[in-house]
Amino acid sequence: MFGIKKVSISFLIIAGIMLAACAPAATPAVVESPGAEAVVTEAPVVEEPATEAAPPSEPTTIIVALSSAPTTLDPADHRERNSETVIRNMFDGLVTRDNVSGVHNELAESFNWIDDLTLEINLRQGVKFHNGVEMTADDVVFTFERIINENAIEYPEAHTSPRKGLISPLESIEKTGDYTVVMHFSSAWPVAMQMLVHQQIIPMAYLQEVGTKGFLEKPIGTGPFKFVSAQPGLMEVVMEKFADYYGGAPDLTPVGPACVDTAIFRVMPEASTRVAALLAGEVDIIQNVPAELITTLEQVPGIQIKTTAGTSPEWMEMNVNQPPFDDVRVRQALNYAIDKQLLIDAIFNGKATPLAGPLSPANNYVNKALKPYEYDTKKALALLSEAGWTDSNGDGMLDKNGQTFSFTIDTEEYLRTMAEAVASQLRAIGIDASVRIWEYSVVKPLLLAGERQAFLGDWGDSAFDPVGHMEAKWHGRLESTSYGRGNFSGYNNERVNELIRLGETTIDPLERAKIYDEAQQIIYDEAPAIFLVLPDTVGAAAANVQNWEPAADGRFNLHDVCLGN
Amino acid sequence: MKATKILERVLAALPIMLGVAITVFLFMRLTPGDPVDIMMGRGGAVSEGEIEKLRSEFNLDKPLYTQLGIYLKDAIHGNLGYSYIQKYPVTTLIIERLPATIELAIAALIISLVIAFPIGIASAVWQNSLLDRLSMAGSFLGISMPSFWFGIILILLFGVQLHILPVQGRIDFDAHLSIKTGFYIWDSIITGNHVALISTIKHLILPGITLGAAEAAVIARVIRSSMLEILRSDYIVLARSKGASEWRVILKHALRNALIPTVTIIGLQVGVLLGGNMIVETVFSWPGLGRMVVSAIFARDFPLVQGAVMVYAFTFVMANLIVDILYTYLNPKITF
Repeated sequence: MFGIKKVSISFLIIAGIMLAACAPAATPAVVESPGAEAVVTEAPVVEEPATEAAPPSEPTTIIVALSSAPTTLDPADHRERNSETVIRNMFDGLVTRDNVSGVHNELAESFNWIDDLTLEINLRQGVKFHNGVEMTADDVVFTFERIINENAIEYPEAHTSPRKGLISPLESIEKTGDYTVVMHFSSAWPVAMQMLVHQQIIPMAYLQEVGTKGFLEKPIGTGPFKFVSAQPGLMEVVMEKFADYYGGAPDLTPVGPACVDTAIFRVMPEASTRVAALLAGEVDIIQNVPAELITTLEQVPGIQIKTTAGTSPEWMEMNVNQPPFDDVRVRQALNYAIDKQLLIDAIFNGKATPLAGPLSPANNYVNKALKPYEYDTKKALALLSEAGWTDSNGDGMLDKNGQTFSFTIDTEEYLRTMAEAVASQLRAIGIDASVRIWEYSVVKPLLLAGERQAFLGDWGDSAFDPVGHMEAKWHGRLESTSYGRGNFSGYNNERVNELIRLGETTIDPLERAKIYDEAQQIIYDEAPAIFLVLPDTVGAAAANVQNWEPAADGRFNLHDVCLGN
Repeated sequence: MKATKILERVLAALPIMLGVAITVFLFMRLTPGDPVDIMMGRGGAVSEGEIEKLRSEFNLDKPLYTQLGIYLKDAIHGNLGYSYIQKYPVTTLIIERLPATIELAIAALIISLVIAFPIGIASAVWQNSLLDRLSMAGSFLGISMPSFWFGIILILLFGVQLHILPVQGRIDFDAHLSIKTGFYIWDSIITGNHVALISTIKHLILPGITLGAAEAAVIARVIRSSMLEILRSDYIVLARSKGASEWRVILKHALRNALIPTVTIIGLQVGVLLGGNMIVETVFSWPGLGRMVVSAIFARDFPLVQGAVMVYAFTFVMANLIVDILYTYLNPKITF
């Protein structure tokens, strides 16, 4: 019976794969979003007696399948999520994040804001790098200077860290004691703590001795695992437990050395191969389970499927500077015309949340008073008719001045199903919507130039803060800056711009909440986009994997994970 | 073929390589998409001017002809630049990945020849028999079957259902192979590591079959058609009438002459095997060149794509040269 079930499961998998295989294999650079940790509904402090469960004699190895290769093991030289995933198992930062977006001290013992622009950090003493050398203030200063100074990374040619933009307000850092440093910022920076999570400390003396090239060959950090070996292109990274680990963030249990002896990250770009490898017992945990395989995998005994809110909300942005979308009533009408729950059930197997405005529901500053536009085609049609769009010739399609309401939704291959579903719901109310698939880098300049009509896409929101997101997506576009670099609707509201800029430098959380609430309300009302959904991140693991939770960005903190029998 | 002739041919490859370099350079640059923009991703803050800084670091702010000049000047000195994304010299990245791709190509070639020769010969000898029809139908299937589909079917059957072969990667983690050359079969033989040898061979079977099946289909059809033509020629009739045994006629008289078109097609297929296995490498998580090129193209990692395409071009040129050399051995009447 089991055999038959498995066979039928295989065929289901094949069917899913047929669909998936038409999509381009794994988006090449799984795009950076700073931050990005699990938003799990569970409390962060989870007491798991798992550490004792594993018999000490038997060495344990955990293998994780990633969907794309890390680009480097140098914490200062990438803007890519899977690099950070692997790096953060070998390197610790001053702070880390729990599963519910709270920030906790890791290598820092305490923080002291001297004023809005000056931050004093006291470091934990007695922390060892993997080569046995103690971490001091020199290492912290060196780490941050290597990121913010121009051309500080010398290999293969002198260049500046691509992570500089993630801590751009940091002007300088100085050592004020063996275990104390002071950071100076150019402007007040309310997201400092959330953003420091993404910088990991490296050993100054070692790096100066071996150079960046030597460091890449054998990276050394203070994290729970130490580097053993890597395959070319980082298609596989092997690391082993660091016995002298200081234990990690004291607030987050379990504290102490890692549970498993060996941890391996292996790259499997093809989703169906990851699933097959998990079913064949070749790997223990897999990243990014495709939505169409979720129900199938759920039927396999011995596989755990876990979900958490993702970090890439999806919208369909409309070009607000061109008819028909220059009329706010039309944009609102389209929001009412979409049955988000149907999309969630049909496309995501129920594993997604509807959006109520521009920010992800997981964001710390989401306006809780906003409710998703309800599905109400009557209201949609009323608004459209108010705007002049009616079916005057009785052909079933809306028209105005003899022109049919017709437009193209641009999107990318991985969002094709979503775009087609939206188009079909719009056709149901008489709007002739069609879908065109693009490569992102090709369509992006056209979108920014306002040459297209609508774009269905997503944008990373993984620092759980409006900064890094609001200014890129909903601020008017300013050439060569972060402002509006992902604004594909051409939306440009003076008040919203002002609020977004104000929020960037306001420290008081209550004040910030007010600022962002207002901005979100305006954007919600003016509806430069159809606010669609936030898909969950879905991971799967073998039955004997304990204490594992998928992270929103697919990051894996293997420090806590144990293997049972 | 004389050594001087061979040298001449190798040198003649240089202008071809230059042409390829310039063409690829221009095509990559003219394809829409900005590498720096892609690198900064969707999400997170980008500091003011950071993008400009990176663009100037990659020379992307200079006019196209200046960029080309810089590229060619460096290339002559053996410097193919460094990967925008991986921050490693392109030559290092390619050399690291090449053994995996070559090892898989060799495995696929061996598998395809082992399948193609018996099928091709038998179908020609027993033309229009059931065997011929079945094998030609099979080869038609082999040519038309998408390799990602075939690969996944093999994975599900031999990996997930039967549990007899691994579904991905090159070697088991616990084989403890110490890498010398990057060719795992060779490395495990010279280090006397039997566990690693067996593990490597097991890992090669499924991707090897997936990649080899389509090649086998092409090669078998060529062998069949050239054998059919030759088996009808006068000298075969003569050989038979002299009383030569049928197998001697087929293998010695007919096959050898049928090899000329076959070798030509194999030569071309070697190029395809080395260059066209991006899909198979993706399905089987094979850490080779093809997989790297796919990512590099999407990321608009110009130097890496250029370097890899140069390797592919060089492979094709060399495969053709080797085919030409083989001709002179197969048929001494051919000279160059």
